[in-house]
Amino acid sequence: MRSNVLARLRASASSWTGTGRALLLGAGAVVAVGVGIAVAGNVIPIQAPQPVRQSYSGARATMDDAGPPGEWRSQARDYSNTRFSPLTQINTANVARLRVAWTFADGTLYGHEGAPLVIGDTMYLVSPFPNIAYALDLSKPGEPIKWKYDPNPSPIAIGKACCDAVLRGWAYGDGKLIYNLLDDHVLALDAKTGRELWRTKMDNPEHGVTMPMSAFVAGDKVIVGNSGGEMGVNGWVAALDIHSGKEVWRAHNVGPDSDVKIGPNFKPFYGWMKGKDLGVRTWPADMWRTGAGSVWGFISYDPKTNTIFHGTSNPGPRVPAQRPGDNLWTSAVFARDAGTGEARWAYQFTPHDQWDYDGVNESILLDMPIKGRMRQTLVHFDRNTYAYTIDRNTGEVLVASPFAYQNWSTGFDWKSGRPMVDPKMEPKPGVTLQRVCPPDIGQKDWEPPAFHPGTGLLYVGIFNICMDLTDHPVAYIPGTPYDGMEMKRYPADGKNGHWGAFIAWDPAHGRKVWEIPEKFMVMSGAVATAGDVVFYGTVDGWFRAVDAWTGKVLWSHKLGSGVIGQPIVYMGPDHREYVAVAAGVGGAAMVSASMGGFPPRGGTLYVFSIDGLSPSTDVTKPETTSLAPAASPDHSKTGRR
Amino acid sequence: MSPTGITVSIAAALLVGAAAAGWVARTSERPRGPAVVMARSEGAPGAVPVGDLAGAAVARLPADLPNPLSGDAGAIQEGRRLYVRLNCADCHGFEAKGAMGPDLTDTYWRYGGTPVQIYKSIYEGRPQGMPAWGHALPATSIWQLTAYVESLGGAFPAKDYHKGLQGDLSGAADRTAKKSGASSMEGQ
Repeated sequence: MRSNVLARLRASASSWTGTGRALLLGAGAVVAVGVGIAVAGNVIPIQAPQPVRQSYSGARATMDDAGPPGEWRSQARDYSNTRFSPLTQINTANVARLRVAWTFADGTLYGHEGAPLVIGDTMYLVSPFPNIAYALDLSKPGEPIKWKYDPNPSPIAIGKACCDAVLRGWAYGDGKLIYNLLDDHVLALDAKTGRELWRTKMDNPEHGVTMPMSAFVAGDKVIVGNSGGEMGVNGWVAALDIHSGKEVWRAHNVGPDSDVKIGPNFKPFYGWMKGKDLGVRTWPADMWRTGAGSVWGFISYDPKTNTIFHGTSNPGPRVPAQRPGDNLWTSAVFARDAGTGEARWAYQFTPHDQWDYDGVNESILLDMPIKGRMRQTLVHFDRNTYAYTIDRNTGEVLVASPFAYQNWSTGFDWKSGRPMVDPKMEPKPGVTLQRVCPPDIGQKDWEPPAFHPGTGLLYVGIFNICMDLTDHPVAYIPGTPYDGMEMKRYPADGKNGHWGAFIAWDPAHGRKVWEIPEKFMVMSGAVATAGDVVFYGTVDGWFRAVDAWTGKVLWSHKLGSGVIGQPIVYMGPDHREYVAVAAGVGGAAMVSASMGGFPPRGGTLYVFSIDGLSPSTDVTKPETTSLAPAASPDHSKTGRR
Repeated sequence: MSPTGITVSIAAALLVGAAAAGWVARTSERPRGPAVVMARSEGAPGAVPVGDLAGAAVARLPADLPNPLSGDAGAIQEGRRLYVRLNCADCHGFEAKGAMGPDLTDTYWRYGGTPVQIYKSIYEGRPQGMPAWGHALPATSIWQLTAYVESLGGAFPAKDYHKGLQGDLSGAADRTAKKSGASSMEGQ
């Protein structure tokens, strides 16, 4: 039913938007902004003069710590996690003139998932394994290397990382570039010189722990977490002192309250999450020790209340029959005191997670009117396919609606705050379940959305996939997967259906406003700008600019590899606005690697500007003035001697 | 750099690596000039430890030793059972076409594709995350696992050690392999 309607809408939308192929949903909102109206399956453009455009949701963000308008100082640009740039030089009127201004290949080929940082005249990049850092001088022709640093992490981590030897980002603070190594160390470099200032060991890769997460700086704390939800790890989030690298606190997400940092100030909204040592008592005896609940998504921070928000991973093992119970605090979100790690509240998205849905996805901190009342919220697109709008001070769920197709849940129980589970979709060991939607990676993985305060919309890459699932009982063997899920994944709409889409979402009303279907899962982050343009990339390597209001595709450029990274927007020292994105397919996008059109791996940053102008444009014979050579990331000899 | 110099470097590198790994390449006792000369041709390990099966007196056997259980239906079945039971499937894929760990059905072998080389990879582990199962499994189980991997079609026959090394076997399995659209890459 749903797919039929969508297919018709899609077909008619194609003829209206030309290259855009945008799909309009939610007719009421569309009329209000004067774009189009869906009638009996046909999308009709409204030719009336442009009315005053009004936010769909009324949502706003404080966007603390964003820094100067032209800079991009953290993965999400601000503490609220918006990925919104206030720059307007590039806008809907001229975005089609974007051309490549310059490129930088870091010589590594694992998935490129991080966002470049731009501080002053310098761009900071860190490669996936072996996690080489580069500082590029944006003021000179050719954007030469100022310094590079090769930390030589242990290769054992490559084979312990479930989903490619990636790094999801890096952080800046206190004059330092700070990032995780895949082998469980946190590294701080002098941002001016690239000199190593401290390196802190956090865990043991021999036991299957890796750290592909982006470090996050909140004031003088560096927040990091571990990965290994498939490896039977014990999940944690920790804060390091930014000056010394010393661990200030560490909170586990399974185990007794003392480990989880649950004390008298812990006030979850729902009754079933209240009680002593639930991180032990919602598990069979001792199973919590290898129960995962790791932390590898993006962190957000509310400086007013000094609270960080982080998700937790799936429970281990992935075979649910071996761990009856809710398995707290896996597949959940925590609000924690940034200074002490003490938990303020938590909310479990998927109790007794049976499909590896996780809860690690980011929370975006927005304030918006809901049912006539202004609420301070966090918005979270869960892998389980519900998009939640939650009161970030109390943990009360205000909105929970599916943003894509799913069939594991029959609805949301507003009284308990729990999703209702379809018993037919619960796996049993040795029995193959057909067509469970979404599969383990959800209908949206870790790829971060962007928020636009003008439209009040969130822009997010999503999936449209299902799986056939067979569970195999597993034993815990340190350093090997504690997993047991055998899966075949395929599009929800049939063999030749699209695997993904890029959508605009109204978080106040829990509705999709438009949708751009894509052949592959959309695993790119998004960035929105005050020029009313939203950028994202596709797994097959198209980098697109779309109109933030209508979803009309205004410009696309084919890159050398697929996009699973996070685009950014910045102002160069030459006062030109640039858009940058890495082309380097990998990560969970590899689940579709056998599909026609899947691109080769790559490791190139592409930087675009209007007409491709850059500091080398008016130089007759530009030359590279660099003090540092590139690293040799394959650790081969630098040359014949 | 002279050819002799190259020989020295290679031999030295092998010996250092071998010593670190707890086993020693079999080399000629008689030095030729300053070089330590390999008894076998370049790149070929002289011998590979094969665990308890060979007995304490014979800790190493030639690289071209066939798997005593190669092609044995019962051994392959038991190898498959161990492959799932020991979580190998979660790393290399339930269809062994690669996930966190490499594809075991194709003809690309980072550490060699003959039975003894596969045995050695399982026994000792490998630097990019492969655990060393020699501590935990009896030799028979490792040979059974090896037999299962051989049955997937990409392994090199023991006698074709040099053909595999020289690239002459590449593509053979790929040409005959059934195409599979499934991928078992984990989703974290």
